[in-house]
Amino acid sequence: MRKYLSVFNISFQQEFAYRLNFIMWRVRNVIQVLLVFFLWDSIFSNPERVVFGYDRAKILTYVFGILIVRAFVLSARAVDVAGEVANGDLSNYLIKPIDYFKYWFTRDISSKALNLVFAIVETVLLFLVLKPPFFLQTNPLYLLGFVISIALAIFIYFVLLFITSAIPFWMPEVAWGAQFIVIMIITEFLSGALFPIDILPQAIQNVLYLLPFPYLIFFPLQVYLGKLGAMELLKGLSISLFWAVLLWFLMKSVWGKGLKIYRAFGR
Amino acid sequence: MEKIVYYLKIWLMMSKNAFLIWFAQSKLLTLFLMGKVLRFGFFITFLYFLLKGTDRLAGYDTNQAIFFFLTFNVIDVLAQFFFREVYRFRSLIVSGDFDLILTKPMSALFRSLMGGADVVDLVTIPPLLIAVFYVGRMLNPDFLHLIFYILLLFNGLLIAAAFHIAVLSLGIITLEIDHTIMIYRDLTNLGRFPIDIYKEPLKGILTYFLPIGVMITLPAKALMGLVSLPGVLWSLGLGVAVIVLSIKFWNFALTKYTSASS
Repeated sequence: MRKYLSVFNISFQQEFAYRLNFIMWRVRNVIQVLLVFFLWDSIFSNPERVVFGYDRAKILTYVFGILIVRAFVLSARAVDVAGEVANGDLSNYLIKPIDYFKYWFTRDISSKALNLVFAIVETVLLFLVLKPPFFLQTNPLYLLGFVISIALAIFIYFVLLFITSAIPFWMPEVAWGAQFIVIMIITEFLSGALFPIDILPQAIQNVLYLLPFPYLIFFPLQVYLGKLGAMELLKGLSISLFWAVLLWFLMKSVWGKGLKIYRAFGR
Repeated sequence: MEKIVYYLKIWLMMSKNAFLIWFAQSKLLTLFLMGKVLRFGFFITFLYFLLKGTDRLAGYDTNQAIFFFLTFNVIDVLAQFFFREVYRFRSLIVSGDFDLILTKPMSALFRSLMGGADVVDLVTIPPLLIAVFYVGRMLNPDFLHLIFYILLLFNGLLIAAAFHIAVLSLGIITLEIDHTIMIYRDLTNLGRFPIDIYKEPLKGILTYFLPIGVMITLPAKALMGLVSLPGVLWSLGLGVAVIVLSIKFWNFALTKYTSASS
């Protein structure tokens, strides 16, 4: 445990070593949120309007929620794993008395902690500047459901990243390309990080709810907004848990096979 | 004229080399192409269903809102096609290899800006232009507005070039490129929708300070007959002004190049 605490500390300090990079990354997050905020603000210029089951307060809370939940779920250092597999840097860790998954999970948590602090500050500042109406959830059941769904989302995203990062074991040249499709395109759109999934027709939603992506951002925010009944909440958490377990075993299997054929190219 | 032919030949040669590098990595090329098509498909699907539920966006109907998005894509994809080399500029600066470019008998700016056209974007240009033609025709533009649209589209590309030159110049001074170019991309993404959706002071900033509105929203508005001749002339003037300013900034940045690491 102590060595992972050290990894956490070192990783946290490393983020400060590249301060400009980190600040730029946060600036980008704010710009992305501004786009979504003004889009919905324009649609809900009439405060009485209700569209797709959202009123003005709920949709703008969803937008601000994106900033916070993204910091929790989608900020991860493990995006570098694919590169380590492709260029052979993975070997450095295989000979050390450290669990590679736990090592990166600890680094992810460290990155999330820092991103979360900044996301909260940015949210407060944007809140003061834009003065949107805000929906404050006070029901303890929904708040508990929100915390559990976030924990599951963090785990699902981590495992998804590791599965995508295993592709270079077989095709080292596509390390970045695979992440581009799975993480930057599919996850970005199907997780609800740009639009709430429930603006889509019901048939498409039904298919998407069977996939792991909506449980990364959309589902936790739906729980927070109290848009789900008790049964729907339980069903959503069960599907999240199912994906977390299934993807974990899939990741173990893929990495087991990958490590057998790993030849440390580039070393 | 002779100079234009000279640079055209160089551009064709550099583009051919860039394409050959991509074709050597056919799997990666396929993945990136798939990714770009998916991103475009997802966004237009969301936009379509969003407008189906809300009817209008800042006063624009579905076809008009989609046309704004398509025009954004035309300028964005063309800029990435022509100016992809900017994304590779940092390594030249931090390694000092930029020295080798400075000694060559051609403009260092031309080489840094247009030294490697992107084949992935080239593939997406024809279907995008067909989509623009198809949706644009549904807006029933007259000939004059069509001319305004084409003129302002070129003007948008000129402003995009100015942004890229500014990023290169900042790169020389600060050694930071990757995030600056991504912030430029995020800012231009604000033009996916008409800038009428933004409130002041952001709307003013996007119109006058960072001319995203002139670059992306105005061409689409011109086709819809919402821009007058003085508005077009003013925009073209702004385009020329920002390109001149960006070149001055580049010349200033060159004086700060230290040739470190070479």
